Amino acid sequence: MQRKLMLVVMAVLLVLGAGAQEKIIKIGTLFPLTGPVATAGQRCTAAVETIVDIINGVYPNLDLPIAKKAGLLDGYKIVLVKADHQGKPDVAKSEAERLYEQEKVFAIIGCYNSAATKPASAVAERLQKIFMCGASSSAALTEREFKYFFRLAPTDRIESYEFVEWFQELNKSRNANIRTAAVIYENTEFGKHAADEAKAASAKAGIKIIADVPFTPGATNLNSEIQKLKAANADALFGAVLGADYSLMVRTMKQANWKPKIAINYCSGYQDPNIAQQLGQDGWYFMGSAGYTPEFGMRFMKAVAPVEEYFKKKVNVPFDSNSIQEAVAMYVLALAIEKAGSLDTEKVAEVLRTTTFDSPLSMGGKVQFEIPGGQNIKAQSVISQIQNGKYITVYPYEYKDGDAIFPMPGW
Amino acid sequence: MGLFLQVLLDGLWSGLLYGLIAAGLSLIWGVLDIINFAHGEFLMAGMYVSFFLGFLFKIDPLVSWVASAAFLFLLGVVTYKFVVKRTLGKAMAPLLATFGLSMVIKNFAMNRFTPNFRILSGTIMEGKVISLGQGAVMIPVPNLVTALFSLVVLGLLYWMLTRTRFGWAVQATAMDVEAARLMGVNTERIFILVFGIGGACVGVAAGLLPSYLATHPDVGSLFGLIAFMVVAMGGFGSIPGALLAAILIGLIESFAGFYIAPVFKYVAVFGVYLLVIMIRPKGLFGW
Repeated sequence: MQRKLMLVVMAVLLVLGAGAQEKIIKIGTLFPLTGPVATAGQRCTAAVETIVDIINGVYPNLDLPIAKKAGLLDGYKIVLVKADHQGKPDVAKSEAERLYEQEKVFAIIGCYNSAATKPASAVAERLQKIFMCGASSSAALTEREFKYFFRLAPTDRIESYEFVEWFQELNKSRNANIRTAAVIYENTEFGKHAADEAKAASAKAGIKIIADVPFTPGATNLNSEIQKLKAANADALFGAVLGADYSLMVRTMKQANWKPKIAINYCSGYQDPNIAQQLGQDGWYFMGSAGYTPEFGMRFMKAVAPVEEYFKKKVNVPFDSNSIQEAVAMYVLALAIEKAGSLDTEKVAEVLRTTTFDSPLSMGGKVQFEIPGGQNIKAQSVISQIQNGKYITVYPYEYKDGDAIFPMPGW
Repeated sequence: MGLFLQVLLDGLWSGLLYGLIAAGLSLIWGVLDIINFAHGEFLMAGMYVSFFLGFLFKIDPLVSWVASAAFLFLLGVVTYKFVVKRTLGKAMAPLLATFGLSMVIKNFAMNRFTPNFRILSGTIMEGKVISLGQGAVMIPVPNLVTALFSLVVLGLLYWMLTRTRFGWAVQATAMDVEAARLMGVNTERIFILVFGIGGACVGVAAGLLPSYLATHPDVGSLFGLIAFMVVAMGGFGSIPGALLAAILIGLIESFAGFYIAPVFKYVAVFGVYLLVIMIRPKGLFGW
């Protein structure tokens, strides 16, 4: 009798257990957790984790709809399956296949490096699965007209035109006389595309590119690269330089005793608050695009600060322009699942294609994907400059925290 | 002319740094006939020692290189005792074991110190530059000091190998272990010390590097690769060969990077390496 009772209890537990197991949504994260840009990848993963914590729990102090109840739909919890592509496109492709086909994830969020996002999102498209891209900025990604690819960040093209518009504004208001430019970029998908966009935007504005300097990421030195730039001595410098290469670039520029009038950077080491802090005064007066800075957030994105506190507990730094885009990617995907009321990929993708989402974590407050392509057409960025160790928004003027220091003071 | 001289000096500084990193590898390769695949990770580990001494205790790299060298001497000895010795004479085993060790060290660093880039600021040499010809040629002091250290360490190593009884014993062991043993040389002790000294050499470079290079778990990868190339090109076990090959590589890198295209600099370096190895497989000064 006792044995029968035990069997019944076990059967009930199994059924309940199976039922509980079904109430999960697996989401894959695919970032460079090792390799030269691992810091950025780990922060992006932590940003997604932060939003997942908020979705799965109850956070009445946060001004986000997903924070008010635990889970999505009728109690589904999100479980992250984390993967590492090491910054390598081939690994990104095989990991995307593993996540979709073996781990059975509902969607992937990634991959930071445009070069990795490209093959990983092609896997998603082939399998007709959703791919949410937070920070990869190569414009080519959304020109493929994929149906299941959605990118949050502004593209290099948008940023390039903003940079050149800023040069022209400086020419007009500060008599800057910016007529020539040089480009330094890592020889990767991201770097090459950024450089191409910089050249195209400059050409349209009549700014002549007089030095084109690609380099191998993770180089032991950047001496000849900086000597090339110094010899050309352009008025402006576009930089697409990630991670430790950025600090090496700045220090080598100092060693060569060269600075242009203005140095402006794409999504890069410039945006890493740790690098900016550690470079100290050497890193001051450089400029770059920013989708978020804590200073900007305090004024224009007030919903971010309390979320950022949870993020800081994981990585000890505030959001940067890249990590916050990955957080928004998870946030928007959660909103889409809620709105679709189902875990049917087609239904959720359709919601993503047709809805304008309120996003308090985004600059501008809205997210809307352009179809075809999947580019977030509400994506905005500002231009900031590091002054006294802080990221100060200098352009567009309606968002500015302070005036730009121009030209860059010498070393 | 100023520009040419600048490119030449930049190449020279890089070359001498590569020489200092490669010297220990050359010694180990020459004597034990094995490749220490963890050499780049040794460099990284030494850089962390120097970085943390600077960051936590404000000890300048000009002093902390001693600690890096001592730490890597010990790491070299431990590596020999617990990894290499157990695999010696078993075909590819030592090579694969040191490769495994490189993964362990790199992932340990990743796990303990995170992949964050760590830049040491406020060092004595930071940002110091000697300007010649009204700024036509700039000599960065950290690079100059590293180059001088390289010359001194390589000189000492060469002197030790050619002018001391220990050095003769090392050479004898490298040529024929059995014969050296029969002549009364304690070859086991030689192996231990060679691994230790090899580590200490890269430790000197590792101690000085944080004064101008960010420390992170991947920092040793390309340096390690270039060090293998320097050793193979210079000749296994030859210190003058390693120095000459390192300077050659530094100059090729600098001139190709500036006069052809920056992205071409490593292509040129690896291209010349291939050519040298094809023409003279023993390297320029191989034993």
